[in-house]
Amino acid sequence: MAPPSTSLLTVTFFLALLSTLLVAVSLRLIFILTNKRVPPPKWRKKGSPTRILIVLGSGGHTHEMFYLLRDLDTSKYTYRTYVVSLGDAFSAQRAIEFEKELEEREKQRARKESENGYPERKVELGGKGAEKRTPHVGPESYDIAIVPRARNIHQSLFTAPFTSLRCLLSCFPVLLSGTQQLLEPPKDGFEGVSCDLPDLIMTNGPATAVIVILASWILRFFDIKGANSRDKMRTIYVESFARVTTLSLSGALLLKVADRFLVQWEQLEGKGGRAEFHGILV
Amino acid sequence: MDEEKAKVCFVTTGATAPFTDLIKAVFKTEAVDALQKAGYTHMLVQYGTAKDVFEQSSLNALRHMDGNTPRKPIRIEGIDFKQGLKDEFKLARTSNGLVISHAGSGSILEALRYDVPLIVVPNDRLLHNHQAELAKAMAASNYLLEGNTDNLAPSIAYSESFKMKKAQFPPITSGKHRETEGLEAIMDAELGFQD
Repeated sequence: MAPPSTSLLTVTFFLALLSTLLVAVSLRLIFILTNKRVPPPKWRKKGSPTRILIVLGSGGHTHEMFYLLRDLDTSKYTYRTYVVSLGDAFSAQRAIEFEKELEEREKQRARKESENGYPERKVELGGKGAEKRTPHVGPESYDIAIVPRARNIHQSLFTAPFTSLRCLLSCFPVLLSGTQQLLEPPKDGFEGVSCDLPDLIMTNGPATAVIVILASWILRFFDIKGANSRDKMRTIYVESFARVTTLSLSGALLLKVADRFLVQWEQLEGKGGRAEFHGILV
Repeated sequence: MDEEKAKVCFVTTGATAPFTDLIKAVFKTEAVDALQKAGYTHMLVQYGTAKDVFEQSSLNALRHMDGNTPRKPIRIEGIDFKQGLKDEFKLARTSNGLVISHAGSGSILEALRYDVPLIVVPNDRLLHNHQAELAKAMAASNYLLEGNTDNLAPSIAYSESFKMKKAQFPPITSGKHRETEGLEAIMDAELGFQD
């Protein structure tokens, strides 16, 4: 047997393997992409357990994020994970303060209700009167996950891929199960979601957000833990209020990727055929 | 002696980069004259790392005001930096005063929550900055006034009457998107919370 033929065989084999993989990957991507573009308006009962992941960044991004979330209803968004970059004590501190504010607000509401003797009615257009709502606040209802920085300030572009990769790898456990280690099996659904994939990822554009969303896509691609089949990790990107006519780098990268892409100035409406403008949100 | 009602102009130059042009601009004779004319009694300046610039220019301003009889000179105070400027914004608000700020989005958002007239001054020396764009867009919607470091006096003079036409921030409705859905509605839609 002539030796060249086997090597030729190997080359052909790998080429075939490669092209098969390529086709499979593109088919899968097309499947996920087309599937996600039409948001399946699945009905979810208000008050059912949900986990949202909030990506914080440096000062400006963090500030804006908490302005965005100022009216967060903890009876609907029952468990929150804040993703903070290593060394960013400010953002971690703000997350804790924000959670304390949420808790305080619920305490005041409860006090008011017990004084009035009836639940405070939320007046809505076409309102259905007061619904029973159970707020989820306090240390059991949130956690703060710390990931290494994707890129340090003044870091050379050559080493950036390595630090980004390190950041990416540390995002997987955060997405898959969060940081709260349960010693016993979860006693109810609310505890259960704290260590399940997030239902929603909220971000407004720090570098870490790009990595977190990339990680979520890898999980969706392989449908790990039902990431795609259970329609987990839908993403909402809110471009910074400071961006009036041009997108930020993160924004440009995530324009086609986020499930919802929101801008805060009319000048950016329709960017990439999908940027939505709903007024100033901060 | 008749106790004059205090009226505070708070100037903030930001935390990241020193913004010496703004410090110099607020202490220019024209600017100080405009403040005095509008009845300001106090200036509070957050100067960051540029303490020397603050001291030198405020000294010049004080000398200038000494010649400005019969007007009482404005009292000038400075702080370098502090986390959260809540008290300072409140002071400007309750004294029916004014805030003059660098164009960082964080300061803009915070100052506007206190419903105080705001003059925003973009830093021309920053490269690749979108600050000027933001200031212009916000000014076009009447949320604030855009000033420049060359001449702040007209903006200061105008800020008195601007108090009447200042638009509410954050806006409840905006332009053609009158039936706008808030962020909560969008989040709810993504999760399938429907009424």
